[in-house]
Amino acid sequence: MLKLTLREIGSAKGRLILTMLSIVLGVGFVAGSFMFTDTLRSTFDDLSADIFEGVDAVVQAEEGEVSSSQGEVIRFDESVVETFAEIEGVAVYEPGLSATSRVFALDGDGEVLAPQGPPVIAVSWAGPSDITTLTLEEGKAPEGPDEVALDPLSIDEAGFAIGDTITVSGPQGLDEFTLVGAVEFGAPGPYFVVFDLPTMQEVLGEPNQIESIVFGAEPGYDVDTLVAELAAAAPDGLEAISSEVAINETQEEFGSFINIFGNVLLGFALVTLFVSIFIIYNTFAILVTQRTRQMGLLRAIGASSSQVLRMVMTEAVVVGLISAVIGLGVGLGVATLLQRLILSGGSLELGTPEIRLRTVIVVLIVGVVVTVLSAIAPAFRASRISPLAALQDSGRPTRSMTFRLISGAFVLVPGVVLLGLGLFGAANTTSGVLTLLGIGSVLTFIGVAMVSALFAGPAASLLGRPVQAIRGTTGRIARDNASRSPQRTAATATALMIGLSLITAVSVLAASIKASFSELLEEALAADIFVYDEQGIPFSPAALAAVEELSEVDAAAGFSEYDAVVDGEVQLLSAYDSAAGSQLVNIPVVEGTLTLSDFGIGVLDTVAEEEAIEVGDELTVAYDDGEELTYTVEGIFEANGLVSGNYAVERSPIGPHVTVDGVGFMAVNLTDDVDAEAGQAAVEETLRQFPQLAVQSNAEFQEETEGQIDAFLQIVNGLLALCIVVAFFGIVNTMALSVMERTREIGLLRAVGMTRRQLRSSIRWEAVIVAVFGSLLGIGMGVVLAWAGIAAVPEGFFSTPTIPFGTLAVYVVIGAVLGVVAAFFPARRAAKLNVLEAIAHE
Amino acid sequence: MTSPLSSPPAPPAVDLAARSENAVKIYGQGEIEVHALRGVTVGFEAGRFTSIMGPSGSGKSTLMQCMAGLDRLSGGEAFIGDVPISSLRDADLTKLRRDKIGFIFQAFNLIPTLSARENITLPLDLAGTKGDPAWIDHVIETVGLADRIKHRPNELSGGQQQRVAVARALASKPDIIFGDEPTGNLDSRTGAEILEFMRRAVRELGQTIVMVTHDPVSASYSDRVLFLADGQIVDEIFEPNADQVFDRIKSLGD
Repeated sequence: MLKLTLREIGSAKGRLILTMLSIVLGVGFVAGSFMFTDTLRSTFDDLSADIFEGVDAVVQAEEGEVSSSQGEVIRFDESVVETFAEIEGVAVYEPGLSATSRVFALDGDGEVLAPQGPPVIAVSWAGPSDITTLTLEEGKAPEGPDEVALDPLSIDEAGFAIGDTITVSGPQGLDEFTLVGAVEFGAPGPYFVVFDLPTMQEVLGEPNQIESIVFGAEPGYDVDTLVAELAAAAPDGLEAISSEVAINETQEEFGSFINIFGNVLLGFALVTLFVSIFIIYNTFAILVTQRTRQMGLLRAIGASSSQVLRMVMTEAVVVGLISAVIGLGVGLGVATLLQRLILSGGSLELGTPEIRLRTVIVVLIVGVVVTVLSAIAPAFRASRISPLAALQDSGRPTRSMTFRLISGAFVLVPGVVLLGLGLFGAANTTSGVLTLLGIGSVLTFIGVAMVSALFAGPAASLLGRPVQAIRGTTGRIARDNASRSPQRTAATATALMIGLSLITAVSVLAASIKASFSELLEEALAADIFVYDEQGIPFSPAALAAVEELSEVDAAAGFSEYDAVVDGEVQLLSAYDSAAGSQLVNIPVVEGTLTLSDFGIGVLDTVAEEEAIEVGDELTVAYDDGEELTYTVEGIFEANGLVSGNYAVERSPIGPHVTVDGVGFMAVNLTDDVDAEAGQAAVEETLRQFPQLAVQSNAEFQEETEGQIDAFLQIVNGLLALCIVVAFFGIVNTMALSVMERTREIGLLRAVGMTRRQLRSSIRWEAVIVAVFGSLLGIGMGVVLAWAGIAAVPEGFFSTPTIPFGTLAVYVVIGAVLGVVAAFFPARRAAKLNVLEAIAHE
Repeated sequence: MTSPLSSPPAPPAVDLAARSENAVKIYGQGEIEVHALRGVTVGFEAGRFTSIMGPSGSGKSTLMQCMAGLDRLSGGEAFIGDVPISSLRDADLTKLRRDKIGFIFQAFNLIPTLSARENITLPLDLAGTKGDPAWIDHVIETVGLADRIKHRPNELSGGQQQRVAVARALASKPDIIFGDEPTGNLDSRTGAEILEFMRRAVRELGQTIVMVTHDPVSASYSDRVLFLADGQIVDEIFEPNADQVFDRIKSLGD
C-alpha cells in the first residue's frame, strides 16, 4: 500500500506542486516569524548583558503599582548615595540618570540628530570607573556644565569634529556645549548624548535626581553578600538587586515587546496557513474524485476501506512533511526579508537568522498536521467509494444539499456566537478575547466555506451572466464551468475570501477612523494649530509656556495621559489644561463642569454609574510617586474621541508627582485678528528651541494623521498579501486540476471548432468568475467583521463608520485580475492539448 | 485470399468533398517507427455515405483523423474541398473544422453543461454565427429530438445523445461529416436507428458522410466501403451488403 501511495504522489507530482507551494508559503511564514523573533531576542539578550558588564549590583526605585511613567525609569534623590558608600565589599559605585528621546544633539542646520527607529539616549557619564558599557573612542569624557560627548554615528552624520561647539535640545530648551569626546556603546542602534551627572540633571530639569546606582564589588567579594548588604541599607522605596537580576529584568522588558511583535507576525503567518488549508482540501478532494475509478478498483480487488483511508492520509503526511522541510528553508528567506524590511534605516544589525530546534519541530508538526487535517474529509470520502465505482463511468459521490447546509450551520453558528462573545466582552482578559475571536473566526470562515457551496453555483452563474453577454458562447462555457462544481468553486473562492475579508475589515476600520478623526477635529476640538513630538515622546511643559506667552495666541492647552491608582485600581487618566482647554475642546458634560480646579476630577458617565460616583464625591489618586492625593468629583462627562481615559484631571498640578512632567500634545487657538499662517509662523518661531516638535495647522495635522493611518494600513495589507498569494495559487491549482479533469471535453470543443484563443478566453473568464465570487464574499465578510468590530468598541470612538466603496471596488478589480493571471498557465496548457489525445483521454 | 489491387481505384469524376494524395503518416522515430499510412490516395464524393473498414492497426482511424484536420500527415496532402490542409495554421484549421467539417465520435460527444440544443448549435455559436435556423429546426425534427431539446446530456439516453451528436454535425451544413465508430457504444437497435438516420441525411438532405467502423452491418448502410490494410487501400465495394463486407473483412483479417 505504501508503495502504491508513493507512486501516486510521484505520478501526481504536477498536481500536488501548487498545493505544496501553498503549504510551503504558510509554513515558511511561520518559520520565518520564529527565526526572526529568536534572532531579535538573542541580539537584545546580548545587549542587556552588555549594559551591565562590570556591574555586580544595582540599586533602583522599587516598581510601584504604576510602573515607570511615560517611558522613563522612576527617579529618586541622589542624597541616598552616601548611605551605600561605606558598605563593605564595594569597590566602585556610580549614580546614573538617563532619558530616552528627550535630549538631542542638533546638526549644523538645527535639525535633530536621531536614527530612524531606535531612540536617542541621553545618559550621565559613569565617571572614571570601568563599570560602564560606554567606552571612550576619542577625546575625553564630558566634565562640567559645558561639555558633551556623542556617539561616532551622530558625529559622522553631522560632520562634527572634537572641539566644536554644538547645540543640544532638551526639555529646558536649547543650550550650547563643547563636543569633547566620542563614546561608543557595545552594540550599534541608538544614538547617545552624554554629560556628567550634574549637567544631565540640569539639562533634564531634574535637580538632584538619579535613577540608579551601580556597584562593582571588591575582587573576590561575594556578590550575594554585597546585594544583601545593599538591600539592608536601602531606604524605603529602593531595592538592591544583583546584576544578574537586572539583566533578566532588562531582557524581560525587551522580551515582552519582542513577544508581542512575534505574536503579531505569527498571527499573520497562521492566517496564511489557514488559507492554505482550503487549497490543500480542494486538491485532495479533486484528486480523490479524479481517482474514483481507481479507488473502486482497489476496493474491488480487496482493499479495505480503512486501507484506502490510510492511503490518502499517508499521501497527506508525505506531502505535508516535504512541504514543511522546504518551508523551513523558505522561512530562512522570510526571516532575512523581515530583518531587511523592519530594520531598514536603523543601525541595528542582526546576524543570520537563528534556527532553533524548537522552530524545526514546531514547523514540521504544523506542516504535517495542517495537511493531514485538510485531507481528512477527502480521505473519508475516498474510503466510502464503493467497489462498483470501478465499473461505472463517473461515480462522483455528492452530498445532499441539506446535509451540507446542516453541517455548515453546525460550524458557522458556533463560530458566529464565539465571535460575538469575543467582541462584546464575555472574556475579561485580552488573551481570552483573542482566543474567542480566533476560534470564532476560524469556525466562521470554515462555516461560510461550507455553506457557500450551496449558493456558489447560482452565484457563479449570476456573475457569469455579463460574461456570457459579452463573450457569447465562450463566456457561456466559462460561466457553466464556474458553476458546475459548486464545492470546488466555493473552496477556491473561500481561500481568496479569507485574505480579502481581513483586508476589507482593516480598510473599513481605517476609513472609519479617518472619518471619525476628521469629525473629531471639526467638532470636538476647535483648535487652529497642533504641536506634538515627532517621536511620540511627551515634551516639556516649557514649550507650552512659551506658546502661551505669544500675543498671537488666544489659548493653548496641553493634553497628557497617565496611569494612576484611582481608589485602589490602576486607571488611565486624561490630563489637560482645562481652563484653556474648555475653549478648545468640546467634551459633552452631563453634570457639573469640566473646567476643573487643581484637584478636581471628571468622571466618565458610564464609570460614574457603575461605581455610583456623584459630583462632590472624593476620590484618592496616586501617581508615580505613590503619594495619595484627594480629588473632588467636579463633573461627569460623556464618552468622546478626545478623552480616552475614564477620568479627566487638571494637568499641571500632577507635575511633581510623576517621573516626567510631559505634554502629549498641545492644541492652540489663535486670536481672531491674526492671520492663520502668520500665527503658525509665530508658534514655529517660538518652538525653534524644541526642534523635535512638529507644528501643524488643523488641516496639516489631519493630513499627517491620515497618512499615518494609511501607512499602518499598508503594513497590515502587506502582511496579509501573502494570504492573497496563497489564495492565488489556489485558483491556479483549481484551474489546472479542472482543466486536466476536463481534458476530453476540451478535446471535443477543439474538434468541433473552438479556437485556442476561445478556449483560453473561456478558462480565463471561468477563473475571473471564481475570483470575483471570492472577492465579493470576502468584501461582504470584511464589512460585516468591521461593523461588528465598530459596534464592539466603546461608544464615541467611531463617531462616523465609513465604508470606502472606491477602495472596495478596487479590491474586486484586483480579484478579477488575479483570476486572469491565475488562469494563464492552465489556459495555455489547455490550449496546447493535442485534440486527438485529448479526445482519447480517459 | 483476394490479392491487393495493383493500383488504387481512380476517383470517379464527381465532386469531391475531400480527398488525399499519397497520404503518409508515421508515428514515432527510429526503432519504434510505425507507418500508419503508406501513401493513400483517395477521394470522398460529395453526397455520398462512405465507410472505411480494416483490421486494428490498418490505419483507418488515422486516415479519418488526418482527413478531418484533427491530426497532421507526415507526407502527401489532404484536401477539404480544394483547400490543402497540411499547411494550415492551427487557428485556420480550427476554423475549417468549425465551418466545413462535422464530427461524430464514438462516445463523449457532448458538453455536459450545455443543453441538447446548445450542443447542436455549439460550432455555430463558436463561430459567432446564427447558421440557418430553419435548417437547424428541420434537423432537430428529423432526428426526433424536438421534445428533449432543452435537456442536458445526462438526462438523455445513449441513443438520444448520439442523435444530438449527429444533429450537431449537421447543424452547420458542413461540406463533410466524419464519424469515428459513431454507433460503437450503442446496442444494435439504437445503432441501426442512428445509421438509418445518417443514411437519410445523405440521401434526403444531401450531406456527405465518411465513417470509420469495424462492424460490417454498420458499413452496409453506406454507399461505398473502402478497405484499408497495413496503411494502404486494398479494396472497395459499392452498394455493399453486410455479408459481402463480412467476407471481405474476414479475408483481410488473416
